[in-house]
Amino acid sequence: MSYPSMLDKLAHRSTAFALRRAGLISLSLLLSTLLLVALAALPSLWPQQFPGLHALSIDTDPENMLAADEPVRQFHDQATADFAIHDLLVIGIINRSDPDGVFNPASLARIHALSEYAVGLSYPATADGSGARQTERVIGVDILSPGNVDDIRQDGPGQVTFSWLMPEPPDTRKQARAVRERALRIPMLAGTMLGRDHSTLALYLPLSSKTISWNVRRDLLAFVADWPADDELHITGLPVAEDTFGVEMFYQMAISAPLAMLVIFLLMWWFFGHLLLVISPMIVALVSALSTMALLIISGNTIHIMSSMIPIFIMPIAVLDAVHILSAAFDSHHQHETRADTMQAVMTELFRPMLFTTLTTSAGFASLALTPIPPVQVFGIFVAIGVLLAWLFSITFIPAYFMLIPEQRLQSFGHATSAGNDRGSWLVRSMQLCARLATTQHRLIMLAALLMLLLSVWGISRIQINDNPIKWFESSHLIRVADQVLNDQLAGTYMAYLQIEADASDDLPALRQQLINALKQQAQDMPASDAAVMQAAMQVIRSEPADELNDWYQAIQQQLSDQADHSDQPLLWEDAWQLVDRSRALQESFKQPAMLAWQLQLQQALQASEQVGKINALTDIVQTVYRELLGGDDSAYRLPESSAAVAQTLLTYQNSHRPQDLWHFVTPDFRRSNLWVQLNSGDNRDMEQVIASLERFLQSHPPPQPVSAKWFGLTYINVVWQDKMVHGMLLAFLGSFLIVLLMMSLLFRSLLWGLLAMLPLTLTVALIYAVIGFIGKDYDMPVAVLSALSLGLAVDFAIHLLTRTRQFYRQHGSWAKTVPQVFGEPARAISRNIIVLGAGFLPLLAAPLVPYQTVGIFIAAIIFAAGMITLLLLPAVIQALQRPLFDRLSRRQEDST
Amino acid sequence: MNIITMISRVLIAVAALLWCLPTAATDNSALNVEEIVHRANLIAYYQGKDGRAEVQMTITDQQGRERERRMIILRRDDADSDALAAHAYLSAQQYYVYFQRPADLNRTVFMVWKQLDSEDDRWLYLPSLDLVRRIAATDKRNSFVGSDFYYEDVSGRQLDLDEHALITETEQYYVLRSTPKQADQVEFDWYVSHVHKSTFIPVQISYYRNDPNKPEGHKYREATVLQVETIQGRPTVTRARMQSLDAGTETVMSYRRVEYDVGLPADIFSERHLRSAPRQYLR
Repeated sequence: MSYPSMLDKLAHRSTAFALRRAGLISLSLLLSTLLLVALAALPSLWPQQFPGLHALSIDTDPENMLAADEPVRQFHDQATADFAIHDLLVIGIINRSDPDGVFNPASLARIHALSEYAVGLSYPATADGSGARQTERVIGVDILSPGNVDDIRQDGPGQVTFSWLMPEPPDTRKQARAVRERALRIPMLAGTMLGRDHSTLALYLPLSSKTISWNVRRDLLAFVADWPADDELHITGLPVAEDTFGVEMFYQMAISAPLAMLVIFLLMWWFFGHLLLVISPMIVALVSALSTMALLIISGNTIHIMSSMIPIFIMPIAVLDAVHILSAAFDSHHQHETRADTMQAVMTELFRPMLFTTLTTSAGFASLALTPIPPVQVFGIFVAIGVLLAWLFSITFIPAYFMLIPEQRLQSFGHATSAGNDRGSWLVRSMQLCARLATTQHRLIMLAALLMLLLSVWGISRIQINDNPIKWFESSHLIRVADQVLNDQLAGTYMAYLQIEADASDDLPALRQQLINALKQQAQDMPASDAAVMQAAMQVIRSEPADELNDWYQAIQQQLSDQADHSDQPLLWEDAWQLVDRSRALQESFKQPAMLAWQLQLQQALQASEQVGKINALTDIVQTVYRELLGGDDSAYRLPESSAAVAQTLLTYQNSHRPQDLWHFVTPDFRRSNLWVQLNSGDNRDMEQVIASLERFLQSHPPPQPVSAKWFGLTYINVVWQDKMVHGMLLAFLGSFLIVLLMMSLLFRSLLWGLLAMLPLTLTVALIYAVIGFIGKDYDMPVAVLSALSLGLAVDFAIHLLTRTRQFYRQHGSWAKTVPQVFGEPARAISRNIIVLGAGFLPLLAAPLVPYQTVGIFIAAIIFAAGMITLLLLPAVIQALQRPLFDRLSRRQEDST
Repeated sequence: MNIITMISRVLIAVAALLWCLPTAATDNSALNVEEIVHRANLIAYYQGKDGRAEVQMTITDQQGRERERRMIILRRDDADSDALAAHAYLSAQQYYVYFQRPADLNRTVFMVWKQLDSEDDRWLYLPSLDLVRRIAATDKRNSFVGSDFYYEDVSGRQLDLDEHALITETEQYYVLRSTPKQADQVEFDWYVSHVHKSTFIPVQISYYRNDPNKPEGHKYREATVLQVETIQGRPTVTRARMQSLDAGTETVMSYRRVEYDVGLPADIFSERHLRSAPRQYLR
């Protein structure tokens, strides 16, 4: 038995079963859905009672677009731990009405209170947090606020003073202004804490985990609720944007998805005029989406930004099949005696195209599992599962549901081809127009398509790849406003960090020889008894095996130190120790003035980029303290001349209230330096430019000793995952494209027919991306993901049209006779789908989150483009290629009979 | 003169007598808070006319990375007496902290003139810049050379800055709670000291801040005595640790070659001697 007839048999049997056991099917659909939802919901609601089951876990961290063992993430984790760097919440307070801006006693008092309040904020760690911490909190010791940072300044001749910049809120206007004037003298604060003018002051709250950003923001906003309107509070920063997006995304899910369903429902009601009947596609869509999400939770996957979009992808695809069935039934019901006859006939015709579309669509999505991005893999696999479920429910439940409606209530249902039914007539007429156009103007249509394709190539070449989580919010969103206001006033609210690591000397034998030579030289001018100590010290150095630099020095110094503490010539041993320690200190690269001077050049080079508002680094601390040691004159703002002078400058700094601040900028071994780069834009494109300017600097300015430079920080991580995402999605899409082509060719048993089926998809994607290129919309995460959706939608229309064409051609043996039939019921089904789904997702445009708007407009655009191309271009191409296409078909027909 | 003052005077006299006796035999049950804090103050900061110690400082950060510093600390009291009576021991002091290690801090000197009734004077000598600078701190609660100890922990906090209360007595310790008289001058809201009953060494001092979520307060800082030796008949802390609990860092100070009554001349604690260190007292 050949597979076409096998398929027909399967179609017949499954439909017969569905019609016969309508109640059983409906009941089992209900029960299986309830079971899946229960398995997902129970452990989420009562985790203690159901320890064996996976609870719902939500993860809105874009960082997790990269696998946890991704090198860039591992380095980020390591470097943030080594430099004790935390994600920062940036709070800006702006007063535009007071002549002194925020630097007036009342505003400063409020800011002081806010800062004191923020220090104490802590929250229970989330249940799924694997960390050992019970609570996540604001890291009080590292807060940057006027009350928490040190001011270093001259206090009389030859006197340096360290004091809190603002230990208590000032009483007078003069004192308040003085706070700003003092802070301006500290380069680490200007631009970071102080705005461009006196209107603005910023606080930086380091968080033990960015997962509390939303809570911290909420509580801070509540705290300032009674502030006068003149003191505007703005909160931004990538952590809060990402966390807030995650929270709002779920609210949006709860609003947008049902709203889309409602519009789809109303449109179907309008089309088919039968309230009871159009509930069934809603049930299929709902049950498919629910079951898939339940499976996702049960299988222990987290709900991520990507996977939260699964329902939005499954629902239109699920509705597609149902609309095809209802549309066919609507158009043919009047021709049949009973509802069972109608359904049997409809299903026999539609079974094949629905199966084909389901297989190709789910294969297309499943191939996303080949991307290197874990959330995309999960997304692809579960959409594929959802599509299969939707198909299964469509071919069983829709016929069953049809049977459950009493015959007399279906009386009104159906479209009579006779004139007088005005509801269908415009559709009929426009499809007839389509048919005429496609067959008579096929050359024009193909030429237009070719031109559009060429135009698309140009448009696609103009695409800008860029993303910025802050821009996921609408421009009127408070976070977006804060972003704009603060990046205008401050150096920048986007943090990137650059670690520069000096390569450790690996030439231990040479170091050893230097040490021995130096000791020999000292021993020369000594009396014999003293020289003997030097000899013994040399022996210590010689006998210590040279493995690792730090260990080697430590082992030698320990031995010399023990001798100094216990021998009867402690001073000589101490001399030897000091000599070794001076050698060791040479390895402390970032105490060497030459190295610091080079780093300063690097900072200046980076700072030349307009995206870089400011860089805070070790060099700033050294120069500031050095200036104050030398009397505080601006001309003294420079690097000391020896490494010991650097060390002693830093010792002075460490007498402040916050000695630990130093270790954000250099490791205690002074081999790794960290530059805190404040960017005024979170656009990946801008970060990429800064990365490029670093590369250029490294090329043109070789450091005094070999170094390696590595970026970390959220702004940088976003660049990395976006890069992976864009390339990964491109490859995945090409892979899906090939798989769909292969499957179509196999199912149609002809490469030519397969290629034909790919035409709408290809042109749709090309057009959509061309438009993105032309209008200058950034190619960002949602856009990248949405290319996959065109797989499911565009291929569906093409398969239905082509399968039905082949079916009708087999009956008539003539393309001319086939055309009117194809543009009858099948074309009307496609049109109804275009209208239902295209309009159905437009409510997403009202969502305050940009990715949702993108999804809405994308679905509509994909559907309209794919639909039009399917209805116009495909028949036109068939018209042109009649002979090769139908020759293949009839040959095959003869084979199989 | 009221009754309480009279009683306390008597008690001081009694205590002073007892002080001369071996400590184990001391009956301390009648001591009042003021007594305890003064005895503890004496033991911690004022023993002998002067003192010298070599201090090994190990600073461990949150990541477990250690930094070592070695310095010689010279101390001289203006008072010649160690007597508690009439607080005779209590006087201005001078400290001379001479850095030995690491090599790039060698010969750096930190000098303090601790005053009883005025701001302290502090100097820093940076040999590689050949620079003497007075370091004026508006408060004394900033880091001592980058360690977890505050400058005030090293030189001692004036007793009358806080209200002291004996909150409980255990078999071994007096447990005191001290509250600052001027809360805006310090970062703590109170601290709790465990003063050893026989030696009067404050074995543990824990610093607290008010916390709206915790009635018992938020403990963010803790000093712990790790080792005590008797040197020249004086119980002496030879190892002490300070933990900054929020920052996750700690510093251990180990004292070697502790010596009392060295005979340090007053004039070595002078600006002149910052540049030319008094070598004979630093060996």
